[in-house]
Amino acid sequence: MGTTTGNRCRIGVWTLFWCMVLCGACDPNRIGNKQFNRHVEASTVDSDYTFDTEEYILISTAINFPMYVNHDQAAFLRWGKARNVKTTILGPSDWDVAAQIAVIEQVIAAKPAGLLINGTDPGLAMAINKAVDAGIPTVVYDSDIPGSRRHAFLGTDWREIGRLQAEAMAKLIEGKGKVAYLGILGMTNMEEGYLGMKAVFDSYPDIEFVGRYDDKASVEEAARITSDLLRAHPDLAGICGFDAMSGPGIGLAIREAGQEGKVKVTTVDWEPEHLRLLKDGVVQHLVGQKRELFTWYGAQFLFDMAHGVNALSANDRKAGIVSIPYIVNTGLLEINASNIGQFLPGQ
Amino acid sequence: MNINRLLQQREIAIALSIAVVCIVASIAWPSVFPTFGNLSQLFLNISIETIVACGMMILLISGAFDLSVGSVVALSGGIAAYLLYNHGMYPLPAILAGVGAAALIGLINGYLVAYVGINPMIQTLAMMGIVRGAAMMISGSGIQNLHADFTVLGQSRFLGFQSPVWIMMAVVLVLHVLMSKHVLFRQYYYIGSNEQAAILSGIRVKRLKMHSFVLISLLAGIAGVLLAARMGAALGTSGRGMELRVITAAILGGASLLGGTGKVFGALLGTIFMGLVSNVLIIARVSGYWQDIVLGIILIVAVWLDLALKKQSVKSLKKVVGKR
Repeated sequence: MGTTTGNRCRIGVWTLFWCMVLCGACDPNRIGNKQFNRHVEASTVDSDYTFDTEEYILISTAINFPMYVNHDQAAFLRWGKARNVKTTILGPSDWDVAAQIAVIEQVIAAKPAGLLINGTDPGLAMAINKAVDAGIPTVVYDSDIPGSRRHAFLGTDWREIGRLQAEAMAKLIEGKGKVAYLGILGMTNMEEGYLGMKAVFDSYPDIEFVGRYDDKASVEEAARITSDLLRAHPDLAGICGFDAMSGPGIGLAIREAGQEGKVKVTTVDWEPEHLRLLKDGVVQHLVGQKRELFTWYGAQFLFDMAHGVNALSANDRKAGIVSIPYIVNTGLLEINASNIGQFLPGQ
Repeated sequence: MNINRLLQQREIAIALSIAVVCIVASIAWPSVFPTFGNLSQLFLNISIETIVACGMMILLISGAFDLSVGSVVALSGGIAAYLLYNHGMYPLPAILAGVGAAALIGLINGYLVAYVGINPMIQTLAMMGIVRGAAMMISGSGIQNLHADFTVLGQSRFLGFQSPVWIMMAVVLVLHVLMSKHVLFRQYYYIGSNEQAAILSGIRVKRLKMHSFVLISLLAGIAGVLLAARMGAALGTSGRGMELRVITAAILGGASLLGGTGKVFGALLGTIFMGLVSNVLIIARVSGYWQDIVLGIILIVAVWLDLALKKQSVKSLKKVVGKR
């Protein structure tokens, strides 16, 4: 009997362990799932020049993530149509960096005309270097990958995102009061954002920073933390959100507490739910990336490199020269009450 | 009943822990913690997860678990919102469609686990991905501006508590009574304790197992619709990570991965305890980095204490039997 109970205990512990490992595989910040989604968009537009044998591949993780679909992928597909080339989007449907690495390594053998890679994790460096070594033009977007030999990077400066949010917040709360940070703790870009924000707040002696909280990119978690913060600090002046779900979660809790406009909110991204919160006066300031520019110009760089446009020597590859920009900061956009009408026309 | 035997009931231990945390927090932060506003917000924060945790408790009692519940939450809310927003459907049929779709997923899970023999972890893990993908497709970048006739379900107030809290109370009460008193539901304890013996004693194990998967998906469907109504929007990312949080709450509340133990009321206590710890840590200005660490330590300590007390109980029993 004792042995049976012991065995059952061991089975239970191992089941829990594997359950957590496998669940982690489907969690946005873990690795494991190997299910890939594939969208292929071939050229259909008539033009004097067609390069429809050329394939440009965008590789990301979480390729169903609405922000990626609506901005990054939409612009990439539009670029493919405009250029009459074949554009393919590959990657796992969940946030699965290991699967993204596997996809990069698999497509190298197919020798595509160019690879456009969402820089989701520093762990991509080895795979990117393999692609570069194979002679494939390779561009990284969104976050740069230290240690990789990518040909170009297009993205935004997350310190700038933090700085712009903090400056807007300081103005909204007239330079005094308690403020809190919500985002994903430990993510490189958001840590940069935090540093940018903190540097601004440090220059305001009357602004008290109450803490950083991990909303795990979940609306429910962001709402729970915000409601707890509102109880813990009835005099809370403002909250800065740093991931896509921070704004909707903060907005939900502020609405339920009837604190719209009293507690100021700045956050990242400009998806429909963020714009609606701004229009309703729950959120006061949005700082967004120009994600369309990442993939449109990233793909264009690949094309230019593949076709030797702006060649700087008789043979740039042999000369060890890359004739596209090394780093491009696509800049940011700010949305507030003064220009929301341009983003929600007719509403 | 001595103190050791009393503490062996995890529900009692967690209720005592909740009481201790409440007393300490009330003394430490008298103007912030023990207020009705904080209490009602705490219950609102845990309400939707508790509804799912009740279903998870029943499933754990029967010796299984379901990892697809978080995705089902997103799907049911998405379907209801899609039908409301894009097809102008009345709230009731849209809600029924969302909850019905959730129940169908439970039926598929239950059938494949109980009748085909697929491991529950593998089956529900696969279903988690399938359903999440479907939810993302239906909700797109989020379905906004849901009609007030629908959002009233998650935003109305009665006696100072928002509607999801009342619905949670009703679910806990009904399921607790059923699991305590009703013969059919009591059979889950037999199945979880010894499935083979349950089969030999004539219990229709396969059918009951399938029903337990339908029940948890149904509850996740209700939770998803409530969440969409509360937010006034349906997001494809809703409910992400919920499966592990509700399993944690159920285990804290007295469930065992081995099956056969636990009470529905314990699931409520588990979610209250988790919500309370997060609430107090924020009031105490503890950094966000520490919250998961503290919750993880609490879970390990709770399960370890449970095992230690059970071992002590077995020793005591052996002594008694030895004397006779």
